[in-house]
Amino acid sequence: MVSSPSEKTKIVVGMASCGIAAGAGDVYNALKEKIEKENLPIVLEKTGCIGACYREPLVEVQTPGLPTVIYGDVSVKRLEMILEKHVKNGEVLANWVVKGEGIHTSEDALFEKQVRIVLRNAGEIDPERIEDYLSRQGYQAIRKVLLNMKPEDVINEIRNSGLRGRGGAGFPTGLKWQFARQSPGKEKYIICNGDEGDPGAFMDRSVMEGDPRSVLEGMLIAGYAIGAQEGFIYVRAEYPLAVKRLQIAIEQARERGFLGKRILGTNFSFDISLKLGAGAFVCGEETALIASIEGKRGMPRLRPPFPAVKGLWGKPTNINNVETFANVPWIILNGAKKFAALGTEKSKGTKVFALAGKIKRGGMVEVPMGISLREVIFDIGGGIANDREFKAVQLGGPSGGCVPANLLDTPVDYESLNQTGAIMGSGGMVVMDDRTCMVDVARFFLNFTQEESCGKCTFCRLGTKRMLEILERITRGEGKPEDLDKLEKLAYNIKKGSLCGLGQTAPNPVLTTLKYFRDEYEAHIFEKRCPAKSCRDLIGYRVIPENCTGCTLCARVCPVNAISGERKQVHYINPEICTRCGACYEVCNFDAIEVFSPVELAETVDE
Amino acid sequence: MREKDATVTVIIDNQSYRVPRGYTILQAAERFDIYIPTLCSHKDLSPFGGCRLCIVEVEGMRNFPTACTTPVEEGMIIRTHTAQVQSVRKEILQLFLSEHTSSCLICDEREECKRYLGTIRKAGVTTGCRYCPKDGQCELQEVVEKLGIQEIEYPIYYRNLRVEKEDPFYDRDYNLCILCGRCVRMCQEVRLANVLAFKQRGRNTIVGPAYARTHLESGCEFCGACVSVCPTGTLYEKARKWEGVAQLEQVTTCSFCGVGCQISLQIKADRVIGGLPAEDPLVNNGQLCVKGRFCIPELVNGPWRLRHPFKKFNGLEVDISWEDAITLAAEQLSRCAPDEFGLLISSNCTTEDLYIAQKFARVAMGSNQVDSPARLFYGPALNAYLALLEKSVPLAEVREAPAILCVGLDTRYGRSVVGVELRRAMHRGARVITIHPREHNLALTAHAWIQPPPGGEGEILQFFARFTAGEESASPPETNLSSETLRQLARELKQASGVVILVGSEVLHYSASPQILAVLHRLAENLGAGVLPLPAQNNFVGSLLMGTYPELLPGGFSSANEKRLKELEKVWQTEFRPLTNGWNSGNLSAGKPLKVLYLIGEALPSGEPPAEFLIFQNIYPPDSPIRPDLTLPAAAFTEADGTFVNGEGRVQRVHRAVNPPGEALPDWEILCRIARKMGVRGFDFSDVREIHREIAALVDGFQDFDQPPRQARSLTIEGKFQIAASGSFEAKPDGKKYPYLLNAAPLEHVYRGFPLSSRVEGARVIFADEVLHMNPRDARRARLQEGDPVEVTSQYFRKVWPVKFSPELNRGIVQVTVLQNELIGLNPIPVIIRKSHV
Repeated sequence: MVSSPSEKTKIVVGMASCGIAAGAGDVYNALKEKIEKENLPIVLEKTGCIGACYREPLVEVQTPGLPTVIYGDVSVKRLEMILEKHVKNGEVLANWVVKGEGIHTSEDALFEKQVRIVLRNAGEIDPERIEDYLSRQGYQAIRKVLLNMKPEDVINEIRNSGLRGRGGAGFPTGLKWQFARQSPGKEKYIICNGDEGDPGAFMDRSVMEGDPRSVLEGMLIAGYAIGAQEGFIYVRAEYPLAVKRLQIAIEQARERGFLGKRILGTNFSFDISLKLGAGAFVCGEETALIASIEGKRGMPRLRPPFPAVKGLWGKPTNINNVETFANVPWIILNGAKKFAALGTEKSKGTKVFALAGKIKRGGMVEVPMGISLREVIFDIGGGIANDREFKAVQLGGPSGGCVPANLLDTPVDYESLNQTGAIMGSGGMVVMDDRTCMVDVARFFLNFTQEESCGKCTFCRLGTKRMLEILERITRGEGKPEDLDKLEKLAYNIKKGSLCGLGQTAPNPVLTTLKYFRDEYEAHIFEKRCPAKSCRDLIGYRVIPENCTGCTLCARVCPVNAISGERKQVHYINPEICTRCGACYEVCNFDAIEVFSPVELAETVDE
Repeated sequence: MREKDATVTVIIDNQSYRVPRGYTILQAAERFDIYIPTLCSHKDLSPFGGCRLCIVEVEGMRNFPTACTTPVEEGMIIRTHTAQVQSVRKEILQLFLSEHTSSCLICDEREECKRYLGTIRKAGVTTGCRYCPKDGQCELQEVVEKLGIQEIEYPIYYRNLRVEKEDPFYDRDYNLCILCGRCVRMCQEVRLANVLAFKQRGRNTIVGPAYARTHLESGCEFCGACVSVCPTGTLYEKARKWEGVAQLEQVTTCSFCGVGCQISLQIKADRVIGGLPAEDPLVNNGQLCVKGRFCIPELVNGPWRLRHPFKKFNGLEVDISWEDAITLAAEQLSRCAPDEFGLLISSNCTTEDLYIAQKFARVAMGSNQVDSPARLFYGPALNAYLALLEKSVPLAEVREAPAILCVGLDTRYGRSVVGVELRRAMHRGARVITIHPREHNLALTAHAWIQPPPGGEGEILQFFARFTAGEESASPPETNLSSETLRQLARELKQASGVVILVGSEVLHYSASPQILAVLHRLAENLGAGVLPLPAQNNFVGSLLMGTYPELLPGGFSSANEKRLKELEKVWQTEFRPLTNGWNSGNLSAGKPLKVLYLIGEALPSGEPPAEFLIFQNIYPPDSPIRPDLTLPAAAFTEADGTFVNGEGRVQRVHRAVNPPGEALPDWEILCRIARKMGVRGFDFSDVREIHREIAALVDGFQDFDQPPRQARSLTIEGKFQIAASGSFEAKPDGKKYPYLLNAAPLEHVYRGFPLSSRVEGARVIFADEVLHMNPRDARRARLQEGDPVEVTSQYFRKVWPVKFSPELNRGIVQVTVLQNELIGLNPIPVIIRKSHV
């Protein structure tokens, strides 16, 4: 990030969904207006997500003569200051800098340990301009492939790189391509799976929003390798920005001849179209996704035959995830060796993670395979928000599992994560602190999967629902001693007997929490107590008299008027009325409200 | 070596078997009688893998694969009944039962209950074990009993869904549904109708048409294929709900149209309780339409079936014995001169009945005045239609044709079996073009729907005929499609070889139909296309071959054919000289006034009684206010033996499945008894087989009664039918005075003179006969509510019908179906419409 020698200052606003949600749109518009109105010598651009979502809106300022810096938490007000001090007076506002040349910030660790391959362009280029992509070796890989490589060479290169499917299952990509290539048939298809549906995961969205062309180029290369003529990107309709930017990218690629007939003057023709998904989680499963593109109900079917043999419209089809495709151009340009040098023996390259939950630096990171969970969460992610205690990290979304503190040194690779009972998954990492009830977490994920089941097979449709009912019973304190056995048996049967991956992995959150946090389940069932003090039916709120200043704030926010007390007097929460919504706890400025277990209290009173 | 390649060796439960390659594990197990429970698999449907009950252990495979979807492989080691597998299966059943009413399955008292409370009357007062109509036939029940589930570990959460009863013919109680998806696959894969689909997600998943529409609204053909494959009591025939399990089955030929489907009658306690498609590859290939599937029991078991002969006596109707009835009939008939007698027989009757009827007229009465009123259905177009029948090709040609042209054909209710063939043809890539004035079911699926105004079919066919004759500059008529599209379609037809033209019923009733069919004939010749007319009457071809017409003798010979008459005299061992004149069923008063009119399976003509003495032989008393002098109870087609000849010319067997009610007898038997009473020789038949033998001696294509060859044969007819001039009607398309165009079609779905809609409740819904169909926007503009009586006035008549909103009609067009003899000269005819204040 060297400042351009041009005389003008360049300001780049991070305009991915995360930025826009934090107010980047306002900042961008305000700046644009100001530039036009005051005729400022500033070039204004936008870019995708750089990863530090927790500090959005992010604004990069490149002023000639000054180090390029990225400011975080930029509001319209701060923007004025930046324009005034930084741009006009040449004074870097060190306190607000997230990242800058030669400037050490508390954020350094976020970037130091990252290796950006998939995200090499995200946050660096304007995703709506093909020129930006071209200036960073864009479409060089497809050029190299078309002009110098045979399809077999491409497949070998990908095989040698050790790239594995980033959608979660980790199937070797090169092998998959080879199967599709070997399948007889003239018509073949490439599908990019952008139906990202795990709660808390947004890697694919960021890639599609920040660097859509890498995905297109990856698909082109795959198309050439397997002999396909057409590609589809299946993207959720809930990702309007990604859809828009993909569309722009496709149109520009067609204009420049990177898509369409006889690409780069060769015999290779390939086109890509978008297919918007209606937001069914199960459509992330490849056979259901194919059915959905065909206009049918998104419902998985039995494999074999695998899509490589019989896929879209019965033709050989290769499906890869967004992130997998985004890796491909880099591998072609930099060589399989360089990619394989990263990571562990069986898991090569990097993996993008979306850090979410009770973590300090929530956002997108790309790390080399083999790095430990601890490094990701504590070094890169900055540890637990509010400096609370780490309890578990949920990996792989509803199909994944919870990894407890004592396994934090597990390296991030497919096999090691599987051993913990969790999975690599598509890259969602939800961090939980000591106030998270693990029974409730399991309930949450199961509720998600049972609602998203397509309903085709019995276990997934009814089994997950019955499991959910048992979990709900437990969180209400109505669990029975035999419930745990029943849960385990049902979970086992669902895993063994379900048709597709959704059902086969749906019990994972329950099984891992049962494995690592059985004591929490037992506390709910036998003691009617929620150790994390989170399950509403098993907790109470009360005032700590020593801390209460009688400010009346809690009484004012209580939605059910359960709190009484005169001004400057110790307040009282009536447990009969209290709905345990926690509003008082959230607003109290004096730590005067505490959560307690009524059962424990009863025991102390008895003593 | 070859043998080895075709099979693989697998080990199932420690025993080695050789299994054809390509079999699934389930098929292999079934072949060797190894029981693997399953609910979603079905032999006619693709593997689904939904219920998961058929999971097995296969060495080296992850998880438990489903037997229904996993193909066998060489050396596969399969275990079907390990403790683990059984435990998973039981879990599945428990999950099903956790939301399925299950008192019939796991109640402690179910044995007692079955034994002592097995009546419907007790249903409300017991624990409810008797409320599932599928009790005793339920596949879920069977699997639960086989696997031995005694209790359900989960709390019961019923889905509490409303039972859907708003559609005709079958009810749907999705509380009992286990989502095996058989109905959906049946509808989508086999029928290609795509009415049913899965809706919603997760536990709320349910089967039904999209957008919460009823089956009626969503284009359902009510073929009942879904009902047949439902393993539980979810889908159930309304009419058969409490009939329980059938005791017997009898395959026979359906009597509701000329397709001639093979149908398996379900019999219990000497009653037909249902009809299912027979597994017969020749005609219907395991499919049926709504009429054959659902209409038979209600039609033949109606409470008003005639059971005893009775006569009119002093204004009263008095039961008499068969002996007296035969004597009375013989007396009355004996006093008729040949031209004072008339016999009308329905072409729904068996070939043998038809043969005996014409023989009776010709030999016993010496008269040629025998007719089948089917001629009225074809009206002036009869000769043109027969010309097409003479060129007919088998329906199976649709399976290979590169392009199919349908004219006046709607396959939604009647002939839906043909509809399935058409959709299959489209799936394999055939082009289907349909010409029809109204939006019909082919309009949705065909590649092109050409929509002329009623009666305008001829202009389109004319264009095609000219174009394909080389006159490529011919200008196409104005329709919903552009000239260029029509030209393109004409080009496609011209280029394709082996085109088939299907002719439905809705192009036969126009005044211009003779010309339309003639053009169609010419077009077929230009294209070298096969034509398949699909007659509405199941034994129309039989009636032609038997000669139940004044113009025809058995074998399709003209009644003026001296040589044939000589032959007949020889076989019939009698001398006769039947009179020939202009008499026919459309013109009963052409000759001398009739002394006796003998109606077999035909409705009474309206108006004045057409004869001094009326003999009415049928399965129901007449709907008309006229009382016959003598009423004779006849057997329905389910109660008689014989043959039908379908539209393709196949001679097919009709089997007596049950006994006729009361004293009712087959038509031939009644006729023979009367003839014998009259002292006429040649009617000493003891059974139908003997009649068939006599027919076989006279008519080509008839051979062995017990195993008819069922060959498709096109018809040969000598001479032409006399067609009455249709009067001097002139179309006056005075758009101002008569703004609507009335399209009046004869009732098509009729059995022995009774409209199905008058005898079968569901048929009343789908065949809205004798109501005026009108575009809803037109109707609203005329301030009409659905059901309002509407006065329809033309230059020639004034009629009142109730109105029904039909969005499939174009604006400005109104349509009605009426009894054949109520048709109105010019058709279609411009009319005025206004609300009737009568």
